[in-house]
Amino acid sequence: MTGSKSPPTRRNLLSWLLRAGTGSVVAALVYRASGFHRSGRMVWQLDPRKCIQCGKCETACVLQPSAVKCTHGYAMCGYCKLCFGFFKPDAPRLDEAAENQICPTGAIARKFIEAPYFEYSIKEPLCTGCGLCVKSCANFGNGSLYLQVRHDRCKNCNTCRIAELCPAQAFVRVPEESPYLLKEKL
Amino acid sequence: MKGFRGSLTLCSWMLALSAQAESRFPQPQFDTGHVVPEAYHPSVTAVVSEGTDVALLFVALCVATWLVHRVRSRFWILAFSLLCLVWFGFVRQGCFCPIGAIQNVAVAAWQGGGLAWGIAAFFALPLLFALLFGRVFCSAVCPLGALQDLFIVRPLRVPRTVNAVLRLIPLIVLLFGVVYTLNGAGYLICRTDPFVGLFRRSAPLPLLLTGMAVLLLGMVIARPYCRYFCPYAVLLEVCSRLAWEPIKITKATCINCRLCVGVCPVEAVEIPREIPSASTRAGRFRLFVRLLLLAPVLVIALTCGGWLAGGTLLAPAHPVVKTYEAMVQYTPETEALYPAVEAAKKQKLTRELLEVQAREITQRFRVGSAVAGGILGLIIALRILGLSQLRRRAEHEANRTNCIACGRCYPACPKNVKTIQ
Repeated sequence: MTGSKSPPTRRNLLSWLLRAGTGSVVAALVYRASGFHRSGRMVWQLDPRKCIQCGKCETACVLQPSAVKCTHGYAMCGYCKLCFGFFKPDAPRLDEAAENQICPTGAIARKFIEAPYFEYSIKEPLCTGCGLCVKSCANFGNGSLYLQVRHDRCKNCNTCRIAELCPAQAFVRVPEESPYLLKEKL
Repeated sequence: MKGFRGSLTLCSWMLALSAQAESRFPQPQFDTGHVVPEAYHPSVTAVVSEGTDVALLFVALCVATWLVHRVRSRFWILAFSLLCLVWFGFVRQGCFCPIGAIQNVAVAAWQGGGLAWGIAAFFALPLLFALLFGRVFCSAVCPLGALQDLFIVRPLRVPRTVNAVLRLIPLIVLLFGVVYTLNGAGYLICRTDPFVGLFRRSAPLPLLLTGMAVLLLGMVIARPYCRYFCPYAVLLEVCSRLAWEPIKITKATCINCRLCVGVCPVEAVEIPREIPSASTRAGRFRLFVRLLLLAPVLVIALTCGGWLAGGTLLAPAHPVVKTYEAMVQYTPETEALYPAVEAAKKQKLTRELLEVQAREITQRFRVGSAVAGGILGLIIALRILGLSQLRRRAEHEANRTNCIACGRCYPACPKNVKTIQ
């Protein structure tokens, strides 16, 4: 170790002082920033109350397809036969054929429960997070479909790219332990 | 600000009420006894816990230090950097990293707390290692550096003046990136990381193409991101300059054969020089005095420049300013172009309220950028003054700030080969 062997000159002392000074600046900065308290990790989530379904979630995410997907708050759903989140406004027929569906990828499943009620669920692997069904459901239905960041996909970027481009500033940081903002529970 | 937050809370409360009123179709009572299901929401999947993450970084830094200073083998440094590339890059997939942590630390230090200790450790550990052992983080631990190192094919010499000018970019990114983040416009430094898309093997096309382009550029200009963009390198350079045990090309006495100069991809080898003659020194001194007089002019000019840039370039990136500007340009015919206006209406933000906020934010940007510009001017002045200072150097030495400890000079030095035999 050359540093330790060199004789105690003024230059040597000065360099040690500078080193200690820089080290303490780093330490002070870190201490002020964290206080060495164990604060938990925060993750990104979308506040469905602010969301305007602009469609940026589908395209802005660093992942393709996006980490944002549609989720269904069943507790809010009216189980309508004519679901505005499922059918296009000008659907030729009210059945599950692709030309009738609002979802471009056919990611919503429609299941008959009892007359006249149907249950709708999201096939997550197909969903791209475009928000078309969300917009329609919010405008004409109960608003039980909404977008959420899916935490099995989200990389939890230091800064969420969608958050930066979101015109409604609907992206917030939430604690890791409760990482969802579920519309039916808010 | 408090009023703004209050109004936001009020808005969200009202929205919540209206959301309940939205229930146009009441949920049916099922005769068949159908149970309303609940959607499945996967919990957060982190690769490793925060503690393990920090511990692994510490171990990696220790190993890198050992390889650079004791083993002194290019092969093992390269091998270890590949390991770190796989782990910190492709497995951990980038976030969080020391480069981006600058912003988290800046924001939390400004607010006085609230930072997760893992991020704080990621910020501080490489700096403390640089303070002791030089830039060992850059040599083998940083995945961005390791990736670029693989692409070095035929590094060109960057002319000294071009190099000096380009080396201002990291400083600008650091200073203005922090101002940008502190004012709440987003994390600019993370946004400019070209490789995160490659690490995640999934990204929008422009990001992937930028990453590829930087790597291809790296074939002829070694480590372009590290040298001419990385804001964390600025901090590492300051620490590495004061390093207790700096990187040494050879531990034996240098025979000034110049072989190390040719292999260094980042032009970090300093060649020996004599103390110039008295007349040259007198000339240098006159130059020094003139530059000293120039320094205040530079600082003032860049402070003014920062003030202007803050208002015109940085502030429009802030979401509130963006929304306000959209509202100004908005006409009912072009509604589809301005989703921000729709969002503001939904949150009951009026144009007047936004105007006040936007003006306040723009002012903050101006002040912050003026300070950043002043600091930039001061550092440029100090760098120029540093040029006029000459010290005798008898041996070929690794430049303390620029050397990234890649270890290419170790096998090139005949003195090192001799000790191996």
